[in-house]
Amino acid sequence: MNNLYRKRLASHLKEMFKYLRLVFNDHFVFALLIFIGGLGLAYSNGLKGLSPHLWWARPVIVVVLLLVLQLGRFATLFQDADVVFLLPREADIRQYLKGARLYSEGLAFIYELFGMFILLPFIQVTDSMPVFDLAMIAVAQLLLKDSLFSLAIVSRFQVKASWLKQTFWFKWLVPLIILLVSVYGMPLIGLLLALILAVGLRVADRRFNAVPFDWWHAIGLENNRMLGVYRFFNLFTNVPMLKGVAKRRRYLDWLLNSVKATPKNTYLYLYSRGIVRSGEFSGLYLRLTILGMILLYFVRGTWLPIALAALFLYLIGFQLIPFYWQFDDIVFTHLYPIAESQRVNGFRRLMFALTGLTAILFLIMVIIANLDWQMGLITLVIELVEVVLMVQYYLPLRLKRKK
Amino acid sequence: MTLQVTNLVGGYSQIPVLKEVTFDVQNGELVGLIGLNGAGKSTTINHIIGLLTPFKGEIKINGITLNQDKNAYKKQIAYIPETPILYQELTLKEHLEMTMMAYSLDRDKAWKKANHLLSIFRLDNKLDWFPANFSKGMKQKVMIVCAFITEAPLFIIDEPFLGLDPLAVHDLLDLIDEQKQKGASVLMSTHVLDTAEKYCDRFVLLHDGTVKTEGTLPELRKALPDAGESLDDIYMSMTRADQHE
Repeated sequence: MNNLYRKRLASHLKEMFKYLRLVFNDHFVFALLIFIGGLGLAYSNGLKGLSPHLWWARPVIVVVLLLVLQLGRFATLFQDADVVFLLPREADIRQYLKGARLYSEGLAFIYELFGMFILLPFIQVTDSMPVFDLAMIAVAQLLLKDSLFSLAIVSRFQVKASWLKQTFWFKWLVPLIILLVSVYGMPLIGLLLALILAVGLRVADRRFNAVPFDWWHAIGLENNRMLGVYRFFNLFTNVPMLKGVAKRRRYLDWLLNSVKATPKNTYLYLYSRGIVRSGEFSGLYLRLTILGMILLYFVRGTWLPIALAALFLYLIGFQLIPFYWQFDDIVFTHLYPIAESQRVNGFRRLMFALTGLTAILFLIMVIIANLDWQMGLITLVIELVEVVLMVQYYLPLRLKRKK
Repeated sequence: MTLQVTNLVGGYSQIPVLKEVTFDVQNGELVGLIGLNGAGKSTTINHIIGLLTPFKGEIKINGITLNQDKNAYKKQIAYIPETPILYQELTLKEHLEMTMMAYSLDRDKAWKKANHLLSIFRLDNKLDWFPANFSKGMKQKVMIVCAFITEAPLFIIDEPFLGLDPLAVHDLLDLIDEQKQKGASVLMSTHVLDTAEKYCDRFVLLHDGTVKTEGTLPELRKALPDAGESLDDIYMSMTRADQHE
């Protein structure tokens, strides 16, 4: 069973690296680096303006630590079929979970340490604690994370004791109290409390050794976790594993009904409903559009906003193109007696509408931010040319290349 | 003659699964495509609906091949897949609309038909539902309704009986019969041999990618005189004989 986890971890990491490579290959990373650089600069500038003994410094430290504590989840790497195939090996499940805990907790500790590392300058500036106290808080934080993992394991067994399933208590309230004690001058007591909690939960966990494993629950939790991971990657690239649930979104029906139900519109009818009701591509579109709008609001200058608007517009169009193949695994998409060129036309109209809307929103932001009509005019012309180029020339090129 | 498959050699990759398959379906005829798992039934169907390209041989529907006129060819087929496949983002009503648009149907007439079919299958109060809320049988019924509003001359039905309740099975058989009366042809693959025996006009027995025998039940009995009376007997003796070879 230990080997099984190791094997799964290897293939899981391979998959994650595959996606990471896609993320860092994409043009998006460019925008992201600017974003992170800007944040770092803002943080260091912000620190300069702070003075020691601010009343809100300690609450902020506690809240940040509490939030950082939630990072890093238990990666069990269970799969749906496990309930059938691993069921006979349930006696060895502890060993499997041990491997899972080692990996997940190691990773989580890195997150914790990184989070505290970022917080360190803030603590030093506002409330210079002795190094020894800081170290005790850090250890307490790690012990709290360890207890959360014990709890994660217990909650995957069919444990009857309902107090152990009070996740809100253990994830938020108890850590909050311990962190408050630690940060407000009694780090040693905080450390001791955290130690008692961590050891206590490990002992409690051992006492539930004979309790049956809750396969459905554990698999459901893992599926949820993977969904989150895929969602994250889906911000940057297309994740085939991600099949969201369709939402009706009745309030947009007026928009959908503007597509007349004529044979010519068959694919536009399908694509427009697909994008409005599936979270996947509409989410991508919305996120990028909103992110672009926020950036354009804050960025000033003559050419930088225009370049950014053009870049984001391109990113959005670029990320929309794979939606063309969204329905390819549904046999009827190929059976309908409609020429491929009509399908391309339908998609083109959808893409034109979406990029056009974004272009208008960006234009409004550029004008609001800079209050310069001439600049607005230049933005409008550039965006117009870009949208036409993308929809008329770039899209057919990409579609052809895929073939 | 509606469907004519001649010397079809085909499959998914380079290795042919089907070897020189030849059979036809006449107007107003229900032909049963019978065979074990892996015999090549689905491969044959995938070739007919145009998802796979034949390596050799040709498939004609009313004299037209896929290469001659893609849209005219496709327009003649109504397909009901073995596993129901629906667009997750479209409601039941929108699936019907899609079908009407894709096949350029007259909307008033098509809706009249659709409403009739929906009430037969007790789906008429679920027009705004998403596929995620349907059971497997309901999804299959949606496929049936979509297929039967198309007025296509050729119906391709892949294993329709599993997952349908007995009432729906009878309703489906009635619908098929009605289409036959109108002159449409139906090719149906199935494992449910006693139903096939009762309703099919002719049978094509596939084994290992070749047509073992074909014909009406009396013809099959004549060809294999020692096998027994029912389609089941004939089929079992045929496959057993093949395994002993």
